[in-house]
Amino acid sequence: MTALIRAELQKLFTTRIWWAMLIVMLLLVGLNLFFIIAFAGDTPQNGAAPGLPGLEDPSWLQMALSVGSSGTIFTMILGIIMMTSEYRYQTITGTFLTTPRRGRVIAAKLGAGVLVGLLFAVVALVVVGVVAVTAVLIAGGEVSFTESRVPQIAIGVVASLALYAMFGIGLGALIRNQIAALIGGIVWAYVIESIFAAIPALQGVGKWLPGGGTQALMSIDIDTGLGESQLLPAWGGALLLVGYAVLFAVVANLTTTKRDIT
Amino acid sequence: MTAIEIRNLAKSFGPVRAVDDVSFTVEAGTVTGYLGPNGAGKTTTLRSLLGLVTPDAGEALVNGQRYASLAHPLNEVGAVLEATSFHPGRTARNHLRIMCTAAGLPATRADEALEQVGLADAAGKRVGGFSLGMRQRLALGGALLGNPKIYILDEPANGLDPAGIQWLRGFLRHLAHDQGAAVLVSSHVLAEVEQTVDNVVIIAKGRLVRQGTLAELTQNGESAVRVRTTADFAPALEEAGARVEKVEPGLLRVYGLEAETIGQLALDHKVLLTEVAHERSDLQKVFLELTGEPVAAEAAQ
Repeated sequence: MTALIRAELQKLFTTRIWWAMLIVMLLLVGLNLFFIIAFAGDTPQNGAAPGLPGLEDPSWLQMALSVGSSGTIFTMILGIIMMTSEYRYQTITGTFLTTPRRGRVIAAKLGAGVLVGLLFAVVALVVVGVVAVTAVLIAGGEVSFTESRVPQIAIGVVASLALYAMFGIGLGALIRNQIAALIGGIVWAYVIESIFAAIPALQGVGKWLPGGGTQALMSIDIDTGLGESQLLPAWGGALLLVGYAVLFAVVANLTTTKRDIT
Repeated sequence: MTAIEIRNLAKSFGPVRAVDDVSFTVEAGTVTGYLGPNGAGKTTTLRSLLGLVTPDAGEALVNGQRYASLAHPLNEVGAVLEATSFHPGRTARNHLRIMCTAAGLPATRADEALEQVGLADAAGKRVGGFSLGMRQRLALGGALLGNPKIYILDEPANGLDPAGIQWLRGFLRHLAHDQGAAVLVSSHVLAEVEQTVDNVVIIAKGRLVRQGTLAELTQNGESAVRVRTTADFAPALEEAGARVEKVEPGLLRVYGLEAETIGQLALDHKVLLTEVAHERSDLQKVFLELTGEPVAAEAAQ
C-alpha cells in the first residue's frame, strides 16, 4: 500500500496543478490576512457586531492563524482533481491495469490526499504564522505560542486541510466527471454550507455537514453575533470529515469504480 | 499452461451484443492476430481479458487466472490499449516511473524500456507534445516494464508511420519467437499483421468467424495470376481450363493456371504478354468475405 501511495504522490507531483493550486491558496490566504491586519482593532460605527480585535490582543493571533483554514477549498479541489483527472485523461485504464484491485487505488489516493493536505496546511501555517507574528511584533504586542489556543488552532488548520483533500478524493470517486465534481464541491462549500452556517434554525443540521466539521475542528468561539453555535467536539468534527470521505469512497467503490472501463 | 484463454465470452452494452460466445486460445511463442472490422468486438474482448470490462458470461484468463487476481500483473501481462491514455503534462519517463512505483519495479526499468522502444531521446519531454506514433511507442514501453511473457495489444499500429510499423512487426516477432512470449494483437487492417502473425482469429459482429494458422486461412483463397496483354488471350486460357476475370481492358486475372503454364500458352499462341504476376493469396479478399465487409472498404484503405 505504501508503494501505491507513493505512486499517487508521484502522479500529483509530476504534473503542474499542485503548485498552481498552492500559489492560489497562498494568494487567497494572504488577501484574507491583509484585511485582518488592515482592519485590526477597527470598531464598526453602529456597534451591533463587535469589530476585529487589535493586534496586541492575543485573540487576534488566534484569528489570524485560523485564516489558514480557508485553504480547505483548495485541498478539496486538489483532491477532486487527483481523482477525476484519471478519468478525464483516461489514465485510469493504466492505473487499473497496474493495480487491478480497484479499491486499493481509491484507498491509496485517500492516503496520498491526506499527505498532500498536510503539506498544504504546513505551508499555509508557516506563511500565515510568519506574517501574523511579524505584524503583532511591529504593533508592539507580545507573542506566545503556548498561551491562548494557538496550538489547537494550528492542529485544526492542519486537520481540516488534510481531511478536505480526502473529502475531495471521495467526492471525485463518486462523481467521475471532473467539471461536475468541481462544481458540486464548490457550490456545496460556498453556497449550501453557508446557508446552514448562517441560519440559526439550521445550525443543528449544519454541524453534521463537512463545514460544520471544520468549524468544530477550529472551534474558535469568536462571537458571530448570532449566538453560540452548537458544534461537535473537535474530534467529532475530524471523525465527521473522515466519515464523509470514507463513505463517498465506499459508495464509489460499490458503484462508479466498478463500472467497465471502455 | 495456455497463456491466453478465452472461453465462451459474452458481453453486451445495452442492446448491443459486443461479444457473443467467443472462444480461442493463444499459446506461448506465437503471435496471434485478432482481426475484424471496427466495432466487431475486438476491443471488448481484450478489455475483458485485462479485467477492465466485466463479461456477462464466459471467462477470459491469462496464465489460467483472471487478470484481477494476478498479484503482479505487470510482470505477467503487458498491455497496449488506445494511445490517448496519458496525462499530457507528464513526461514520458515520469509516466513509466509511476507505473514502476505502483508495480514495485525498480525505477531504472523506465529508462530501459524507453530505450527499447526508441524513445530515449524524448524521455524528459511532456507527452502532450508527442505524436500518435510516439504515444504508441510509450504505451509499448509501459507493457515492457515488467518483462512479461504475455502481450495484449489493441491496434498498436494505429498512428505509426511505415517505418514504425516495420519496426513493430519485427519487435512482436522477436518477443514471440525469440523470447517465447504469447502475443495477441488486434487489427482491422489485415495487411498490417499479415507478415507478423502465426495464427489468425477473425471476429465479425461479435461472433468468431474463423480461426487457424495463416496458412490454413490462405488455402481458402484461390490464388490468381495477373496477365496484361492487348491480345484476345482469354479464350485460349479458358480452353486450357482456367477461369478468367476481365479486370479492365488489357488486364486479366487468371484462376486455376500456374504462371509458367500461362507463359507456355502465350508462346504457343504467339501472344505478347507485357505483365505476368502471381497474385499472392487473396487474403484481404478472404478477410472481407468472412467479415462481411463491403468490398468498397478495400478501396477506401
